[in-house]
Amino acid sequence: MKILVVDDSRVMRQIVIRTLRQSGHSGHEIVEAENGREGLEKVRSESPDLVLSDWNMPEMSGIDFLEALRGSGSTVPFGFVTSEGSADMRSRAQSSGAAFLIAKPFTPEAFDEALSTVLVG
Amino acid sequence: MILATEPSLSDVYSVVEEVWTTFLGPDEPIYPAGAEQVPAELGGYDAAITVTGAWQAVVLVSLPVPLAEAITRAMLGMDDEEALAGDDLTDALGELVNVIGGNVKSLMAGPSKLSLPLVARGPMSSSSSLVEACRLDLGWRGHVLTVIVSVPANPTSEDPS
Repeated sequence: MKILVVDDSRVMRQIVIRTLRQSGHSGHEIVEAENGREGLEKVRSESPDLVLSDWNMPEMSGIDFLEALRGSGSTVPFGFVTSEGSADMRSRAQSSGAAFLIAKPFTPEAFDEALSTVLVG
Repeated sequence: MILATEPSLSDVYSVVEEVWTTFLGPDEPIYPAGAEQVPAELGGYDAAITVTGAWQAVVLVSLPVPLAEAITRAMLGMDDEEALAGDDLTDALGELVNVIGGNVKSLMAGPSKLSLPLVARGPMSSSSSLVEACRLDLGWRGHVLTVIVSVPANPTSEDPS
């Protein structure tokens, strides 16, 4: 399974990848992108099975990234990993087609719970 | 309608403690630093993020160089001997204040928006229209970091920009 991790922070991409391992989801192929625009290109070129994206990024935010993906007809499972987990944002994420929103700081257990809903098999 | 314009000290402490434990591990939690223990470590880093909207504030984390480097290595899972790339430190501190700011923002009435983080070597000068609403002096690995939440002296419900 291929997972695209999109975050403008290299540190946070490393933490997300480390937490994926700690939550029992090791062994997946990881692809990285620095913002939504690069993420869009990587979805097209890499065809990931899951996208994990930050919300607050330069160039193109996570929500614009998701809306552009869905607008282009992509149905790739998409989850946010973001420092802003307000009810308003969760509602916007869901209505735009996100499968889940994990708020930072996060635990391996929160990752496992969210990912188990989309990583089947 | 009157809403709280500043988060409580204990709530901000809980946010910072949780961020610390999650990103830097549960073995070395932060602790409150008594005023007598605050050393004058000049020339460190400031990381700041701005909240605009229904609640307006600036969240600032100030920390000395050795602490900034230790945090960066811990967040990246690096050994103490490994050399840091120039961008790593800015990246790690920016992410730290981003997560602290995002969680402090979630304590307050919204909707509000977070800016991208700003990290600088040396102290950032804050706007004279801001007042310090909340200040935490915290210890970690023998160093002291400061977390300050500043709010407008005359709060409005609109982004003034």
